Amino acid sequence: MKSVIAAMSVLLLAISASAQAADLEAAETLANEQCAACHGPTGVSQNPEWPIIAGQHADYLARTLRQYRSGERQDPLMQGVAAGLSDEDIRNLAAWYARQDGLKTKQYQD
Amino acid sequence: MKIMRVTGLLGATLCVLLSGAVMAGDPEAGKIKASTCMGCHGIEGLTNAYPTYRVPRLGGQHAEYLVDAMQAYKEGRRQHPAMRANVANLSEQDKRDIAAWFASESGE
Repeated sequence: MKSVIAAMSVLLLAISASAQAADLEAAETLANEQCAACHGPTGVSQNPEWPIIAGQHADYLARTLRQYRSGERQDPLMQGVAAGLSDEDIRNLAAWYARQDGLKTKQYQD
Repeated sequence: MKIMRVTGLLGATLCVLLSGAVMAGDPEAGKIKASTCMGCHGIEGLTNAYPTYRVPRLGGQHAEYLVDAMQAYKEGRRQHPAMRANVANLSEQDKRDIAAWFASESGE
């Protein structure tokens, strides 16, 4: 009986975790369609006018996209792209770009 | 006459080099000028308050984008009271130097 309860608990935990986790596959597809043309295939843009977003904090990226979507932050290109993103799209994209190799926190060595 | 032409050419080259140096930004000068920036951007995982989100990572970012970002805060195109105050008195050269520092290889 105890082991059944334990197994059920593990299953429930696994289900709740997967419900909250970002859908990284969906993010990659969306990133290729909507973002890669300017920000590069993994978020390392080649044009110095456009930011590198690979390795940026997910919560900062998500906030930035929501700001573009609401018009709080203005940029004709980014407002156009962000307008079509759902909350879930934003959460997924932010998580995916945060995992790519790119930006680091700049620190004084000493 | 030939000497004149060579001198002119040297002068022109020097001008181009000098303007390049002014444009480019000096990461070593930027390292010192960025001391205020580093109080937030130099601490991994530090959060902005309020609203709460982590302060963006700038190490390895494009210098050109960073100069524009600082200009955007100054002009109010981007809204952030602390950032606006911090960039308000930066000269063009300050911005380029600070951007060059953040753009240079991380951890230096």
